This record gives sequence, C-alpha cells and structure tokens, in this order.
Amino acid sequence: MKSVAWALRHVARLSLWLAAAGLIMMTVFITAQVVARYIFNDSLVWSEPAAVILMGWFIFLGAAVGIREGYHLSFDVLLYFLPEKAKLWLYSISDLVVLGFGTGMLWFGSQLALSAWDVRLPSLGISGAFDFLPIVGGGVLVILFSLERLARRAAGMPTARFGETDPLED
Amino acid sequence: MEVWVLFGTFVFLLLIGTPVAFCLGVASFATVLYLGLPPVVVFQQLNSGVSVFALMAIPFFIFAGELMVRGDIARRLVALAGAMVGHMRGGLGQVNITASVLFGGISGSAAADATAIGGLMIPQMKEKGYSVEYGVNVTVVSSIIALMLPPSHNMIIYSISAGGRLSIADLFTAGIIPGLLLAVSLMVTAWFVARKAGYPTESFPGWAMLGAIFFNAIPGILLIVIIFGGVRSGIFTASESSCIAAVYALLVTTLAYRTMNWTSFVEATKAAVRTTAMVLLVIGCAASFGWLLAFLRIPAELVELMKAVSDNPIIILLMINLVLLMLGTFMDMSPLIVITTPIFLPVATAFGVDPVHFGVILVLNLGIGLCTPPVGTVLFVGCAVGRISVWDAIRTIWPFYGAAVFTLLLVTYIPSLSLWLPSLFH
Repeated sequence: MKSVAWALRHVARLSLWLAAAGLIMMTVFITAQVVARYIFNDSLVWSEPAAVILMGWFIFLGAAVGIREGYHLSFDVLLYFLPEKAKLWLYSISDLVVLGFGTGMLWFGSQLALSAWDVRLPSLGISGAFDFLPIVGGGVLVILFSLERLARRAAGMPTARFGETDPLED
Repeated sequence: MEVWVLFGTFVFLLLIGTPVAFCLGVASFATVLYLGLPPVVVFQQLNSGVSVFALMAIPFFIFAGELMVRGDIARRLVALAGAMVGHMRGGLGQVNITASVLFGGISGSAAADATAIGGLMIPQMKEKGYSVEYGVNVTVVSSIIALMLPPSHNMIIYSISAGGRLSIADLFTAGIIPGLLLAVSLMVTAWFVARKAGYPTESFPGWAMLGAIFFNAIPGILLIVIIFGGVRSGIFTASESSCIAAVYALLVTTLAYRTMNWTSFVEATKAAVRTTAMVLLVIGCAASFGWLLAFLRIPAELVELMKAVSDNPIIILLMINLVLLMLGTFMDMSPLIVITTPIFLPVATAFGVDPVHFGVILVLNLGIGLCTPPVGTVLFVGCAVGRISVWDAIRTIWPFYGAAVFTLLLVTYIPSLSLWLPSLFH
C-alpha cells in the first residue's frame, strides 16, 4: 500500500504540474490573441478554441488531484456530531459515489469522444474527439484517487479530508 | 417525484460530506436515470459547461490575484490606505476597510482579500493595542467589498449561471456604488466601535509622504484602470482583460518591484490551479443540474408558488433574501450562485427586478454568508490569520454584520444604486 501511495503521489504531482503548465499556456495563447489583434491587426483563429480545450484539461486534472489532496468544497456540519466510526463509513460512501461518477466520466466521455472522432474542429483542424479527452483523462484520475482513498482507509492510513488543510505526507 | 430524486440525492450526499461538485453531478445522473433519459447527457452538459470562453476569466483573475498577493502589490496598497485614512478615528480599522476597497479593485476574491490584508493588518493592529477580535471582524466583513467591485469573478459566475446573456461590463459597473456604500457603512461602524473602545489614531504622514506612497502603489492602481477600462470600453472581452491582468501582474512583480522569484511564481500558479479547478468543476457539474431544473420546469413552478404567497415584490425580495442568507450560512458562495441563480432569477424577473440588479443583491447576500458560521470561508481565513477561535470572532462581530445587512437592504430596495451607473454607459 505504501508503494502505491508513493506512486500515486507522483501521479498527482505530475498532474498538478501539467495543469499549471496548461494555465500558463492559456495565458500565452490569449495574450498572443490580444497582441495579434492590436499590434499586428490580425486575428488568430486558433487561440480561443485551443485555450478552451486546455482549460478543460486543467479543470479536470486539477479537480482529480483535489480528490487526493482534499481541497474540494464540501459541507461538514452534520459530520461534527457523529462518532468517528460512523464518519469513516460515510466518508467511504462518499468516496464510492465519487468513484462512480469518475467511472461515468471515463465511460460516457469515451462514448462522446468516439462519436466526435470523425468531426473536424473548424479552426484547429484536429478531430472533435479532442474536445472530450479531458473528461476521459480526468475520469481515469478520479477513479485512481478515489480507489486510493478507499484503500488507505481500509489500511488505516489517513486520507486528506475535504476542508482540512494539513497536507497529506506519505 | 423527479424533483425529489434530484434534491433528495443532492441533499443526502451533501450531508454525508461528498464534495459539492459531485453532489450536483451524481444527483443529476440519478435523476436522468430515473427519467429514463440517456445518461450521456449529464457528461455532455458537464463538458459543455466547462468549455465556455467566458469562464476563462475566472482562472486568470484568480491567477492575477495570487501573483499580486505574493508579489508585494497588496502591501503597497495597504500602505497607501494607511497614509490616506490612518488619522481617522478607529485608525487601523479604517485603513483595513480602505485597503479592501483598493485591493478589491484588483482581486475580486474575498478569501484572497482576507488573507492578504488580514495578514498585513491584524498583527499591526494587535501591536498598536487594538483587540484581535476587532481586527478580525473588520478584516472579515470588509472583504465582502472585494466581491462587489470589479473584477469580481463571482459576477462572472452569475452572468454565466444566468444563461450568459447578461453583460459582464454592466454587472461590474453595477457593483461599484453598492461596494462603496458597504465600505462607507463599515467605516461608520468601525468609527463607533473604535470610539467606544478608545482605539488610537495614526498621525497623518503629510502630503509629501502620501504622494510618495501613492507613487509606489501606482502599478497596482493602474491594474484597476486596465481591467475596468478594458472591459467597459469593449477593447477587451472580460476573459482577455483578465489574462492581461495576470500578465501585467507578473511583469510588475518581476520587472518593476522585483519581488517575484521562481518559487513564488510556481506556488502562485499551483494555488491558482487548485482554486480554479475546484470552482470550475462545481460550475460544470451545476450545468447539468441547472439543465434538469429547467427540464423539470422547477423555476416556473416556483414563480407560480411565490405569486400565490404574495404579489408584492418587496415581500418576494425579502423572502428571497432570507432564504439566500440562510443558505449562505451553510454553503459556499460559488456553488450557491450556480444553484440558486436558475431558481430565483426567473422569480425575481417575474416580479419586475432587473437581472443586473438581482446579480448585485445575490453577490452581496451570499458574500455575507461567507462571513457567517457554521460554514464561512472568509470567517475561517480571518480567524486563522488572527489565531482566534470562530466563537471569539463572532461574539463581537454583530455591529459589522448589521452594517452589511443594512447595506443589503438598501441595495435590494433602491434599484438605482445598482442600475444608475451602468445606465450612464448606454
């Protein structure tokens, strides 16, 4: 379990770096668009759709890492009044629900990608499947990280709680 | 019955502590299955919900805010506020509020405002003999101002939740007078509280010094001009202006102030990724939730129900405000905007409220919710910065809540406070 946690920590770190790189590339594309319009009097057709696809990657990667690091918004009030054991059960139900949704992202996202395979995105000239790849990739990571949470809890290791800020060290 | 599946699943998952985004997504999924619709529609809505160009303003504004906080722009704005109003009664409390106005003009995030200004002001206030509770109270409630003044990314979330037809420039402009009104009513409150507690004032540094401090803060103030001027004049779209804001903040902090190094840049980028991924996933999942609300005609039925209760817009607005304040004590702002806009906006417009005006009411109302327990992100941030318990903070925060609710009522019942300024541009 320790080595799995170690591997997944690196997956999470890499995803966060990729998402950060996506944010920086988005900034570069949109800046290029403004510069092209006002300085070179030329409009870039690819910058907006490319930045939108990057934004999809960056949201789904960042959101998946959020499951591992526990920074998603959630509501804890009821949980304060419950005994520790009941809380752990509810956390596991929660993780299962997230796992189910991740599976949906992967399965239905792939369906959407396949159905858009032959569509050509007008301004980018690439397959329409690219529009749906972020949701598929995000789905895979959501599945991995929620499975890890369940396994860690079963093994008695801590899981980062949504709303708690102490970083997860393993 | 479908309505119960949708809200029942949502509330159940929310109560067991599932992240809000997944509560919305899974509740929509369950309802779609119950209705026998193809489940793929949920993920299609999710994907198209996050693939909106206008949404891009949110990561950029948050990114710009992170860069400014780490790159010393915030500190210079606080210094400027100190030189401007430090000599008034309640000295540093007034400085804190004025700094929120200046910082709010560049950041738009209440949590960032509380972190940046609270981090700078609360230790200073403690040192000068102010009670920490007073410092935290002022910091927390005055950060609502950042939500009202442009560039407020919550106004952008509202505009998108309202179907994307509302002009972001109008929403930005509409928030200015209510934001300043909130600042004034908080300053008056801070004045009274300080007089009762006998807090000191700072000496006026003199016009020459004020000029020098102003000069130092100019790059930060220029950002206000770039963002607001750019969006208002139509030179940039909101997304483009937010991107320019991020680039500008990076240039100022690396080239002019030389306060940004590689490590802080990486930290700022990662922090921006975390915050925006969280906010935007909620918005994406709310897209399918909102689609189902419309599909089940829930807003239309609510309009009928409200019309049966009363036909007086004053009462309807009071009811909406009370419901929102109550929800706001339990939930965070961005999910509430995306969930409640499709429900309450049709009601409000059916009673003759302008959608831009309603946006200002909604943001101010839910902003107050950020400062109230049991769930109040900004209150938590303020207490963490001041190292006091939430209980200690709320024992003395009431006058400031009062000022905020008073402003909310003024903004609700005097539409021209919100609508007059945008009308000048039409």
